[in-house]
Amino acid sequence: MKNWLICIDDTDDIGTKGTGEIAEEIALLLENMSGGKASFVTRHQLFVHPDIPYTSHNSAMCFALRSPLTQAEIHHYAVAHLIAESAPRADPGIAILDLGSQYDATALMEFGRRAKTEVITKLAAYDLAERLNIQLTEHGGTGQGVIGALAGLGLRLMGSDGRVKGQIKLGQFEDVALELCVAEILELTGLDAVMSTERYPLAADERVLLKGKVKAVYLGHKFVLLVDRKAQTWRNAGKQALQAY
Amino acid sequence: MDPILAEQAFELVDNRWIFRAGLGQYWMARRVAQRCTGFVPDDEDEQVDDEPRSCYNCQYRRWLVESVECLLLKNQHY
Repeated sequence: MKNWLICIDDTDDIGTKGTGEIAEEIALLLENMSGGKASFVTRHQLFVHPDIPYTSHNSAMCFALRSPLTQAEIHHYAVAHLIAESAPRADPGIAILDLGSQYDATALMEFGRRAKTEVITKLAAYDLAERLNIQLTEHGGTGQGVIGALAGLGLRLMGSDGRVKGQIKLGQFEDVALELCVAEILELTGLDAVMSTERYPLAADERVLLKGKVKAVYLGHKFVLLVDRKAQTWRNAGKQALQAY
Repeated sequence: MDPILAEQAFELVDNRWIFRAGLGQYWMARRVAQRCTGFVPDDEDEQVDDEPRSCYNCQYRRWLVESVECLLLKNQHY
């Protein structure tokens, strides 16, 4: 079994299947065909600038995979799904990193950091990928997605960037709240921690009121549910509080 | 979106319809989306406002550094 990081970007268009959904499908596909284990998918926000031809939000989607598949097999199956599910007008790219290989993690993280604040070229992405022995390929359109795909690997490696794709559904709704203790939340969701928005961890026996849409973030290399304290009660943080991730 | 609402809430700059209120103005983004006939929610993962019907959650909004632009208005050539 080897550990991989896989990231895709620029697969969608307005009204088509989202990049996050495609990433989740690829993760499930690779997991099922190999008996491996995929992590949650994380969404990483990149720079929004007039010179970058993103559709509407410019984000990359990344997941970790522990699998006996070879890199060639992972690439083959992931790309087949990427091509099949990407929008016709998309510019998809995929990056695959062997976490057990010798690579310059600092350079990769720096690339991710830069992609949040600078316009970066495809050439720069390919140059870095070649130097770090990361498989980086484009699959249609302008192929601009390779920039975000590589940046997403770096941001995931940093360990404190991105929201977790999807919602945590434990039986709460917009108008029906559910109270659980932290230990129960972790057990039921597979998350690593519950933390306040000021980033201090809650104890296992503290109780949290869940209501509406519940989402997690990637913080300190952990999948974390963020909570706010209101009227002496811990509650899942709203989307506005998660926007910074 | 009706033309009057478009003129009130968005400003045409370099062929882009820019949300006048800018970022983080949830009350205004909700108010405009409530009256907009073209609102379509984006993927849940791309939504940032707890109130579902908000310009910030619409699949036709495009994020900019200091605001969002409305791609629906752009397509309608108001």
